[in-house]
Amino acid sequence: MFSENQSLLSRLIQNLLLIIYSIFALFPLFWMALITFKSDLQMFNTTFFFTPTLENYKAVLIGTDYIKTFIDNVIVSGGAVLVSVLAGVPAAYALARFNFKYKEDLAFTILSFKFAPEILVILPLFMIYQKLHLYDTYLGLIWVYQLITMPLLIWVVRGYFEDISVEVEQAAELDGYPWYSVFWKILLPLIKPGLVASALLAFIFAWNSFTFSLQLSGFNIQTVTVASLRYIASDTVHYGQMAVAATIAALPEVILALLIQKHLVRGLSFGAVKG
Amino acid sequence: MAKSKPVAAEVTQDNSLYNKKPWLTRARPYLIIAPSLLITIGILVPFVSAIFYSLTNYSFRSPNWKFIGLDNWINALTSPEYWHAIWVTIQYAAATTISEMLLGLGIAILLSRETRFTKILRVVLIFPLMIAPVIATLIWQLMTNNSVGIIEKFLNLFNIYNFTWSSSPKTALFTAALIDFWVYAPFVIVLILAGIQSLPKSPFEASRIDGGSAWFTFKNLTLPMLKPFLYIALIFRLMAAMQEFAIIFALTKGGPGDTLMNLSVTAYNTGFAFMKFGKSLPYILTLWLIINIISKRLVANWQKVMKQASGNS
Amino acid sequence: MKRHWQKIITLTLAIAMILSLAACGGSTATTAAPAATTTAAAAGGGETSAAAAGFDWKQQDGSKLRVMFNQHPYAEAIIQKIPDFTALTGIEVEYSLTPEENYFDKVTTALNSKSGDPDIFMTGAYQVWEYAPAGYVEDLSTYINDAGKTSPDYDFADFYPGIVGSLQWDLVAGHKTGSGPQWALPLGFEMYSLAYNKSVFADLGLTPPKTMEELKALLPKLKEFNGPGSYALAIRGSRNWATIHPGYMTTFASYGAQDFVVEGNKLVSKVNSPESVAMTDEWVQMIKDGGAPSWSSYTWYQAGADLGAGKAAMLYDADCNGYFQNVEGASQEAGDIAWVPAPLPEGKSDIFSNMWTWAIAMNSSSKNKDAAWMFMQYFTSKEYTQWASVNAKVVDPARKSVFESADFQAVLDKAEGFAATFDAQIANTGIQFTPQPHFFETTTEWAATLQDIVGGKYKSTQEAMDALKKKMDEIVSDVEVG
Repeated sequence: MFSENQSLLSRLIQNLLLIIYSIFALFPLFWMALITFKSDLQMFNTTFFFTPTLENYKAVLIGTDYIKTFIDNVIVSGGAVLVSVLAGVPAAYALARFNFKYKEDLAFTILSFKFAPEILVILPLFMIYQKLHLYDTYLGLIWVYQLITMPLLIWVVRGYFEDISVEVEQAAELDGYPWYSVFWKILLPLIKPGLVASALLAFIFAWNSFTFSLQLSGFNIQTVTVASLRYIASDTVHYGQMAVAATIAALPEVILALLIQKHLVRGLSFGAVKG
Repeated sequence: MAKSKPVAAEVTQDNSLYNKKPWLTRARPYLIIAPSLLITIGILVPFVSAIFYSLTNYSFRSPNWKFIGLDNWINALTSPEYWHAIWVTIQYAAATTISEMLLGLGIAILLSRETRFTKILRVVLIFPLMIAPVIATLIWQLMTNNSVGIIEKFLNLFNIYNFTWSSSPKTALFTAALIDFWVYAPFVIVLILAGIQSLPKSPFEASRIDGGSAWFTFKNLTLPMLKPFLYIALIFRLMAAMQEFAIIFALTKGGPGDTLMNLSVTAYNTGFAFMKFGKSLPYILTLWLIINIISKRLVANWQKVMKQASGNS
Repeated sequence: MKRHWQKIITLTLAIAMILSLAACGGSTATTAAPAATTTAAAAGGGETSAAAAGFDWKQQDGSKLRVMFNQHPYAEAIIQKIPDFTALTGIEVEYSLTPEENYFDKVTTALNSKSGDPDIFMTGAYQVWEYAPAGYVEDLSTYINDAGKTSPDYDFADFYPGIVGSLQWDLVAGHKTGSGPQWALPLGFEMYSLAYNKSVFADLGLTPPKTMEELKALLPKLKEFNGPGSYALAIRGSRNWATIHPGYMTTFASYGAQDFVVEGNKLVSKVNSPESVAMTDEWVQMIKDGGAPSWSSYTWYQAGADLGAGKAAMLYDADCNGYFQNVEGASQEAGDIAWVPAPLPEGKSDIFSNMWTWAIAMNSSSKNKDAAWMFMQYFTSKEYTQWASVNAKVVDPARKSVFESADFQAVLDKAEGFAATFDAQIANTGIQFTPQPHFFETTTEWAATLQDIVGGKYKSTQEAMDALKKKMDEIVSDVEVG
C-alpha cells in the first residue's frame, strides 16, 4: 500500500507518530516495573533515580498471601481452559465437519455467550451458587469461566479444522482407521500449534477476568485481579506494593503473548480473520 | 488455502465407515457438541431466574422477600438514574469505540509498512491488550496520582498541577476512555493490520499506475476491502464497551457523583453493594436487551459484508 | 507430540494444585513477634491465675475458631497476640484479612449463608444496624453477665459509655443507640478533629482555627504553602458512605441538623433543612476554596497521606488518621503534626463529634460460641488493650483506664494536642446518625450528591439537598418505626 518513493519527511513523520504511540503503549509497563523497586518514602520526591530496594517484593510475596492468589488464578484459568479444550475441541470438529440441522444457530449461540454482559450472569449466579455450594469454589469459577474460554476455543479451533482438507481424513479412512483414530492420530497433531495458541489466548482472557471472581469468590479463593484492589494498606498507601502486585499479575501474560504471536489474530477475532 | 467443505454425515464417498446404525450417525454431531453446550447453557439458566427475581424485592440483607410485580420495572423506568445510566452507557461506548476504531485504523496503516522498526513494534504493541483491565486501571491511577505519579510529575514541568483525571465530572469520562483505549486499541490494530496484509496487491498496483492519489486509493480501494475486518473489530469492541464494568469500577466505582454510572455499574451497586437484588435487575436486563439487538444487527451486516468481500476477491 | 503437551499441562496443573493445598493452610496464626510470648507472660499475669468464681481460661480448650478481619492496624495488633491467646486458652484460631474495599461484602455473604463460618467478625457500629435486625449477630449481654464465662478482671464499666453504648441498640429504627442488647465489643475507636502541620503554621505565623469562620479565613493563606500542588485542607470525598461520616457528619451535627426524624411511623429525611443546607454550603465552599482538586477520589488513605507528605496543611478526619502519619518514620512530616478540636459553627459551643468503632461481634450461627466468647473477652480486656495501645498503634482505646494510664499518656505526649482534643470532645462523642437498616445506601447517595454539588451539577445546594431528601425518603420507605 505504500509506494517505495515516499519522501524522507513523510517517512520521518510516520516513524515519529509510531514512536509516540509506542511510548504511550509501553512506557506505563516499564514505569510500573520500575517503581516496584522504590521504597514508599522515596515515592514522593524521586522520579527515575533512587536507591532500589526489594522490600516491596518481600512485603507482597512473603507478607501477604499473594502467591496463593497467583496460584488460585493459575488453577482457575488453567482449569477453565482445560475443560474448554476437552469439551470444545470435539464440538469444533463437529461444527467443522458435519452438516446438521441448527448447526449455524448452535454455533452462533455459543458465540453469543461471549457477548453476554458479565453483570447479567453474576447476579443470579451469585444466589444459585450459594444454594449449590459452588460459591467460592474452584469448580464454580471454572464453570463460569467457560463463558470466556469456550466460545473462543470452539470458534477458533473450528477454523483450524476447516483449514485441513478433507482428503487427509478420507485417505486415512480408506486405510481403515476408525473416525476416532483419525481424529486423535492425524487431525489433532495437525492443529496442535493453533490449538495451543488458542488455549493460551483463552488462558490469558480467563486470567484477566475480574467481574466473575469479584462476586463469585473471595473468601477462600481470590484471583489476582480482585486482590489487586487490596493494595492500599490502612495507614499509608503502599504504592510500591501496588506496583509489585500489578507487575506480577501482568508478567505471565506478557510472556505468553510472545509465545502465541503467530496465531494471535485468529484467536482474537474468534477465527473470523486468518492472520 | 481453500476452505474444505464440511462433510455431510449422511453422504460420503466411503460407505464402509458409516455402516453403523443410521440414527447414531445422525446424532453423532449433536452428541459431540452436547458437553460444550451443557456446560455453557448451564451457566445461562440464571438468566431465566433473573427475570423471575426482577419481579421480587429480594435483598440479601433481609431473609424475607415477596413478589412485588412490576414495581421494580416501573420504579426504574421512572427514575432519572435509569435513563442516566443508559446515557452514560452510550457515551462511554461511543467515546471508546470511535477513538479505538479511528486511531486504531491509522496506527495499523502506519504499521503496515515493512521496515525493521514496524516489524518489532507489531510484536510488542500487543502487550497492553494482555494486561487485565483492572490492572491497567491500577497502573494508570498510579501514574496520574497527584502526589507520586510520573505523569503528574511530567505535567508539573509545564506548570500543570493536580490535574483531576478521574476526580472531576469534566475529565472522568476522558480518563476512563483513555484507559480503555490503552488496553484495547491494540486489538483493533492487530485485526486491521492482518486485514491490510491480506489484501491483494494487484488493485493497488493498478491504481498507482493509473496515477491515483493516496487518498483516492484509500477511500475507494483500501476501506471497502477492509470492511470485513473493520466490522469484526467494531462488533467486538462495541459489545464490550457497552457493558464495561471492570475499568469503571476500579477507577471510581461510578463516580464522581454519577458521572460514570453506566448500566453495569449501576446494576452492581444496587444489586451487590446495597444488596437490592430485585431492584438491580431492570438495569441488567435492559443492558442485555440493548446488546442483543445491536449485536444481531451488526452480525447480520457483517455476514452480508463477508459475502460481498468474498465475491470480490 | 500432543501427548508431550498433555503431559506438560497435566503436570503443571498437578503441581499447581499441590502447591495451592500447601498454601491453603498458611493463614493460621504464624505471624511475627516471636518475642511476644515473654511479654505476654509478664503482662498477663493476672489472667493466668485461674480466678475463683469458677472461671477458667482453659474451659474451651481444643476448640477451633475462624475469624474475619478487616485489614487494619487493630487487626494486625490482634494477630500478633494470637499465639499468646492460644497458649492461654488452648483454642486454635484461623483468620482471614480482607481489605476494607471488599470486606463487608464478604462478611454479609458469610453471615447470610448461616453456615456458622466465621465465628467472629470485625464490624463497625453501622453494620450492626443491618446485621442485628436480620438475626445474624449474637447478643453478648448474657455472656458478659455470666460469671462462669467471663473473667472477673473484665470490668465492663471501664469502657467509655458513649463508645460501648454505640454498639447497643434495641433494633427499632429511629431509636438512637445506647440501650438494648450488646451486639459487639469495641477494639478501639476514632473521633473526628482537626490535625494540622504545626511547623507550617509556625512558619506562617498562623494559629489553628476554633470556628468554621476562622477555618475559612485560613484557606487562602495556606494555598500552595509548600510550593505548587499543595493545598490547605485534606478531607475525604470518594463516592462512599465513609466520606460523610467523619468530618462532615461531625460538623453537620454540631450545626444542629438531623439526618432523619420520626414522623408517625415513618422515617423522614431532613437533609434539606435550613441548618443542613447552610452547613453543606459551607462545606462545599471549603472544598472549592481550600481542598484538593482531586478531592472526589480521596479516601481516608489519600487524605492522611497528603498531610504526612506535606501536601496538605490540615486534615479534618479521624484523630487516629493523623496519628498514624505522625508516628516516627511513618511519613515526611512525622513529628510535626498537632491536633485541635473540630471547628465549631458560629454561635455553637459544643462539638458533637461522630465516631467510628472497630468492634468484634459473634456470628449467631456460630457452632463455637463459648470459645468465641473467650476470644472476644481476651482481645477487649484491660491487659490486651493496654498492650495494644502502648505498643501496637491502637488509638483511641475504648477503655478509660487504658487512656488515662501513665504509659499511654507518655506515648500521646509525642502527639501535641491529641490528648487535650480528646478530653475536650469525648463527652459528646457518639453516633450522630439515626439508626436504620438502609444506612449505607442513603449515606452513599449523600456522598454522591456532595460530589455532584462540587461538580456543579445543581444550581444550588438547596436544590441538591431537596433531590437527596427525595431519594433518601424513597430508600427508607419500607422501614417501619416501632
